[in-house]
Amino acid sequence: MTSTLTPSAEPRPAASPTPPAQPDTGRSEFRRKLSRFDVKYSPYFYVAPFFILFGLVGLFPLVYTFVVSLNDWNLLTGPGDWVGFENFATELASPLFWNSLFNTFSIFLLSAVPQLVAAVVIAAVLDQNLRAKTFWRLSVILPYIVTPVAVTLIFSNVFGEQYGLVNNILTTLGLDPVMWKTETFPSHVAIATMVNWRWTGYNALILLAAMQAVPRDVHESAALDGAGAVRRFFAITIPSIRPTLVFVIITATIGGLQIFTEPKLFNAASSVPGGPQRQYQTTVLYLWDLAFNRQEFGRASAVAWMLFVIIVAFGLLNFWFSRRIASSEARVSKRRTRRRLEGYRAVPGAVPGSGAALPEPTDPADRLDPDPTAAPYDEEPRA
Amino acid sequence: MKLSRHTKVAAAVAGAATIALLATACSSGGGEGSDEKITLTVTTFGTMGLDDLYEQYEADNPDITIEATNIDTGGNALTDWQTKQAAGAGLPDVQAVEEGWLSKVMQVSDSFTDLSEYGAEDTADQWVDWKVKQATDADGRIIGYGTDIGPEGLCYNGALFEAAGLPSDRESVAALFGGDDATWEKFLEVGNQYKAATGKAFYDQSGFVWNSMVNQLDEGYYTADGELNVEGNADLEARWALLAQGAADGLSANQTQWDWGKGQAFVDGSFATFVCPGWMLGVVKGQVEAGGGDATSGWDFADVFPGGAANWGGSFLTVPTTSKHPKEAAALAAYLTDAQSQVTAFQAAGAFPSNVEAQGDAGVTGESDLTAFFNDAPIGEILAARAEGVVAQYKGPDDSVIQEQVFGPSVQELDSGKADGPTAWNHAIDLLHELVSE
Repeated sequence: MTSTLTPSAEPRPAASPTPPAQPDTGRSEFRRKLSRFDVKYSPYFYVAPFFILFGLVGLFPLVYTFVVSLNDWNLLTGPGDWVGFENFATELASPLFWNSLFNTFSIFLLSAVPQLVAAVVIAAVLDQNLRAKTFWRLSVILPYIVTPVAVTLIFSNVFGEQYGLVNNILTTLGLDPVMWKTETFPSHVAIATMVNWRWTGYNALILLAAMQAVPRDVHESAALDGAGAVRRFFAITIPSIRPTLVFVIITATIGGLQIFTEPKLFNAASSVPGGPQRQYQTTVLYLWDLAFNRQEFGRASAVAWMLFVIIVAFGLLNFWFSRRIASSEARVSKRRTRRRLEGYRAVPGAVPGSGAALPEPTDPADRLDPDPTAAPYDEEPRA
Repeated sequence: MKLSRHTKVAAAVAGAATIALLATACSSGGGEGSDEKITLTVTTFGTMGLDDLYEQYEADNPDITIEATNIDTGGNALTDWQTKQAAGAGLPDVQAVEEGWLSKVMQVSDSFTDLSEYGAEDTADQWVDWKVKQATDADGRIIGYGTDIGPEGLCYNGALFEAAGLPSDRESVAALFGGDDATWEKFLEVGNQYKAATGKAFYDQSGFVWNSMVNQLDEGYYTADGELNVEGNADLEARWALLAQGAADGLSANQTQWDWGKGQAFVDGSFATFVCPGWMLGVVKGQVEAGGGDATSGWDFADVFPGGAANWGGSFLTVPTTSKHPKEAAALAAYLTDAQSQVTAFQAAGAFPSNVEAQGDAGVTGESDLTAFFNDAPIGEILAARAEGVVAQYKGPDDSVIQEQVFGPSVQELDSGKADGPTAWNHAIDLLHELVSE
């Protein structure tokens, strides 16, 4: 956009019918400078809003939190002594901190894994030729529109121990009621259920968008070659949506490790946030409790920072891991193809059809070429 | 899309200006334009029954406008106040403070206006004496005017008592628990009789009972000099043993406090007694109605409380020093807590007056929806009687943490039968070391 402006701005003074007067040259000099400035620097102005806002509401709090974490800081009476990394040491030695980490990861795994599997499956189903497509797509996003507070209040009621819907059903079926709010594992399942209910549809829609971008003719030719729906799903769809999958996994990780509303309101009347024995007190809830109930602002900031580091580390790990999963799919099938080819070559008689003649092209796995990173798929949309 | 260069430069400048505006928008507060018109902000919580009084005050003082904010619960109001106090900005001219977090307020009592400067000392005798004592900080500054208090009586379900073969009228029930000499031992004894006759639990859960047991002692978790005093505190341990015995005998229904199955537990006979500070009467009525019951559900209110006089809750109106109009704010707070206003608040919300004159007012002692609900119990008179002998217990800075986070889990262990008395006590002590630095 900017580059088109420069040439049109330059020749104008020269093409002007009246010969330029003395002061005008100075002005055109200025104009030239301005336009060069425009070309060189105005893009930075356009991206500046984000970075200024990020600096104000992202970077500054991050640094300030770190400063707070190095002090013995009471929420009300303010900063006390400079204690260095003592707050971090105290927290690392605190069983309650580790308990919160355990709860966070337990709830995260119970929610993220089933959620992503379900989201991929739902997206694959929605990717088929359904009647009333928009209706189905809107339906899966519906839970996402409901605020988490409302979701939690409803689920909290459903999972009530003495009067809840789930336990009522269990007891009418002659089963023992489950202590959803006072036992560790059931409470984690209950909270994971809320998270899943809310986020599965959202992730499914993102994955669906990615699946829609997979070229149809790849599917068609694979189908012509005899690949079934399941085979096509694993050999074409999954590898093709890998970047989106990585994105969804990372956002799910960040969200999952910061979970707060659901455990906070699951048993809102509990005198200890996160269950009477801290059965489902997640790390964010723990740091909130530290800051606002126990007034340990410094220690809460230390927890916040450790959580930040954990999330970054976990995000990187996840990125690396999900890349490997998606590409190992391709690697495994390549290896499989190679092994079969070697097998055919070693035993010429085993090749079906006409003896030793040209074994390679008759192998269906080879013709399917399931490597998504190979050129043909990448070039398809560009053509 | 082609833009002229001017447009682009203008856009860039406008963009930068927007950022600058965004950055400064937060810092510009609403200053008062003229000197005559004064706007006072008031933050309250729950149902304090002050709404009609604001209008009255504005009508009487045309140069004053009141902007009132009411926060749904005391807990959320605490978070709101703490955040603003910590940030040093955003506090209202008049801030309502609950007894439960008064100890936190006292940590920073110098950021509240000493109301003695505006005549609090002269009017101090219009409140019950312990209320004023609670609002006085270590330096003798009075930082709050008392609104309501929470003297505790005993709610009981007359129909269930009758079914268990126990007396059911108020006077006999009071006598049954020992009248003026009512003890927790006697309470458990009656509970066991009830349990034997019906097989049902006697009280909803142990948390409120423990709360009352601690609150009515002369010294609770702290000594009067402010020393933490939980470990090896014989009074507390003796009461804990009683609590554990009651839970072991099955007298607690192990309900979730503040939930009670959305009120169902109040109407399905899960329990027959309930500790009731004045403001709790409205809660009971609400719960019974939410559970589908009404005045015929049998709930009544007796002039008796195990272990003697006890108080739970009640609030104060304070004036933070950040107020630009401390004089006017103090005048408003004084008005909102005078005898007539407290009668109005009692009629509107059931908040029992801390003002001695208001306690005897016909508007408090007379009939109301609440008295009709509680089998025509003379609630105002009973609460005034229950308020006699209440002491202002010293509350340390971590009092609410100890109550909720140190003993809360152990109380729940008792109720669910996961631990016996001594084990649960030891768990509490472990948590005390973990949570409260001393």
